[in-house]
Amino acid sequence: MYVAGVDVGSTAVKAVVLLDGRIAGTNVISTGTDQEKTAFQSLSAAAQDAGVVDIEDISAMVATGYGRSMVKMADRTVTEITCHARGGRAFAEAAHVIVDIGGQDSKVIRLDEDGMVADFVMNDKCAAGTGRFLEVMAERLEVPLSDFGKMWRATRKPAMISSTCTVFAESEVVSLLSHGVAREPIIRGLCDAVADRLAGMVHRVGLATEVVMTGGVSRNDGVRLSLERKLGLKVSVPSMSQFAGAYGAAIIALELAEKGR
Amino acid sequence: MGPRGTRSVGNSLQVRAFRRFARKPWCYGAAKQVVDIMERRGWKPYQISAIRCVMDDFRQAYTGERPCIYTTAFVPTELVYGLGAVPFLPEVAAGYAAAFGFAYDALGAAESMWYSADLCSFHRAGVGAGKLGVLPRPSAVIATAHLCDGGKKSLHRMSKDAGCPFYLLDVPYDRSERGQKRLRDQVEHIAFDLPEKVPGISPEGMAEAIRVSNATLDDYLEVCALRQHSPSPWRGGEALNYVVMFLGAWGNPWLAEFYKDLASHIRGIIASGEYPCCSERHRLLWLNLRPYYKTGLLDYLELELETSVAFEEYNWPYWSELDPDDPFASVARKMLANFGWGPIERRLAAVDSMIDDYSIDGVVQFAQWGCRQSNGGASMLADHLKRRGIPFLNLGGDGVDVRNGSEAQAMTRLGAFVELIDAKKAR
Repeated sequence: MYVAGVDVGSTAVKAVVLLDGRIAGTNVISTGTDQEKTAFQSLSAAAQDAGVVDIEDISAMVATGYGRSMVKMADRTVTEITCHARGGRAFAEAAHVIVDIGGQDSKVIRLDEDGMVADFVMNDKCAAGTGRFLEVMAERLEVPLSDFGKMWRATRKPAMISSTCTVFAESEVVSLLSHGVAREPIIRGLCDAVADRLAGMVHRVGLATEVVMTGGVSRNDGVRLSLERKLGLKVSVPSMSQFAGAYGAAIIALELAEKGR
Repeated sequence: MGPRGTRSVGNSLQVRAFRRFARKPWCYGAAKQVVDIMERRGWKPYQISAIRCVMDDFRQAYTGERPCIYTTAFVPTELVYGLGAVPFLPEVAAGYAAAFGFAYDALGAAESMWYSADLCSFHRAGVGAGKLGVLPRPSAVIATAHLCDGGKKSLHRMSKDAGCPFYLLDVPYDRSERGQKRLRDQVEHIAFDLPEKVPGISPEGMAEAIRVSNATLDDYLEVCALRQHSPSPWRGGEALNYVVMFLGAWGNPWLAEFYKDLASHIRGIIASGEYPCCSERHRLLWLNLRPYYKTGLLDYLELELETSVAFEEYNWPYWSELDPDDPFASVARKMLANFGWGPIERRLAAVDSMIDDYSIDGVVQFAQWGCRQSNGGASMLADHLKRRGIPFLNLGGDGVDVRNGSEAQAMTRLGAFVELIDAKKAR
């Protein structure tokens, strides 16, 4: 039996198709302006990846993410908080805290023993602590985001970035560059600034020994390294962390399909 | 274009219309006819009573029929009605500005007066509306030291602009007899000092205002009792709109009419079974206020997520019957009874009572941007509710300034909160 989950985020649409409960196909594409169309494209590509002949063969589908209501073909919409909790726990069974950093927001979710959401917090209205903040800084520094981890490790002394407001932080970065500060400490300072905000959120819901990062920014090793130092424990990143929301949605779709049988 | 279709700060159609017509007596005659038509077209009696109550006060305040006294939301209005004046709350005016789409003008005007964007927008928009010239001219200002610091200071500024007397009631933290007497003496001082400064003011109506307030409280307690019914018979999203009545009309006979009509409406809903949210999944307690600009947030919560706001902190009757034979002490006692003032334990106890009385499944605090009185206690409130096993959501946002919140984010938080309660109940 095929089921699917679609996560329509602000930056990317992710789709996961399960065959008998196991991941059989995935896809990720940029969100674009027509969320419904992009969601369909992503789902079709994931279905093709899974070997689904006809999309009608998908027994149940759940949509999540900011654009979830745009996915008219979904059987149900569920918030990304619940989906990341379910997907994160499925990726890492011991997870008790999920840190999800997406393009326009960040969330910290505390799970109970059964893997259900016990508490959650989200970032404030601004871009601080989000993927967009890091993207803007990467553009300013002319460094690909994928190199942040390597450059983080290349220095032991982070530059002080006092603001997490994207505009103010960008002007701080410009000021540091004009004073001849190398890009490595600036990048480490930026990762520390994001991690500072995230660590505060983690402590609000309650620190646990098993912290898992999901969402697009989890692939940025610099933020993970900074967060580990702030929390004083290891933060794990599942290999398919970007798909945690879509995977969680697919797991809920599977439960729906099984109930319907 | 600014948010909500305004053209430029201070020059929107709504602002120009207010400036031009609000002080013309004929305007209220025309408005009365419109309300009569609304009544004939099926508007509910409580809605009509509320509009008439507000219009009546507006007419008297704007046309100068009676002296107008500005107050903060926590000054008992029995004092103002009792002095023969009509109360006007700039914070409530800020809510109207948001609802009628000219908050952007008022906020812009306040910012031009050096008011920082991190001051509560209810105060910023209130003082900005004063600068725009859309508020009635005050004969005096009575502010209170309790709860909002921004309120008393912005009102002080407004009294200076208007050149009218300013009184600050210094409310003590403790509720001892000594504290109550100190506050009573301040109230008495206002009641006897103000008539010497403002024509038309007299303390002679104080006892009557207290009697009216007591009679209204009886009607209101019935409304509160009816709202304990499950499914919820009246939408909290609407109840939060009528906070304006609760904050600004005690001592006005119209308020009793409003609550009588409202009780009758709620009884009718319960009898017919036509609840606003028939398949009520959960019942929430809502702390602080709501966004008053156009938003689908409460509809999303109550209609789409089928989760009722069963009761609201700002509608909780926290005082008991007052003594008309000692009206000054009564006003003092009412102020001191406010659970938001003093140690956080007072607010926690009030929240506990509301949770028990209204069979609450979860608590949402609308964390108004810049509101110290509620946000300052958020941590202890969260801990307290956690100990009780009641899910809690601190929902950041702004009641007046649309720029201080993201509706999509707020909806996600509410959606996730409802899913959390779903999961908790399923276990």
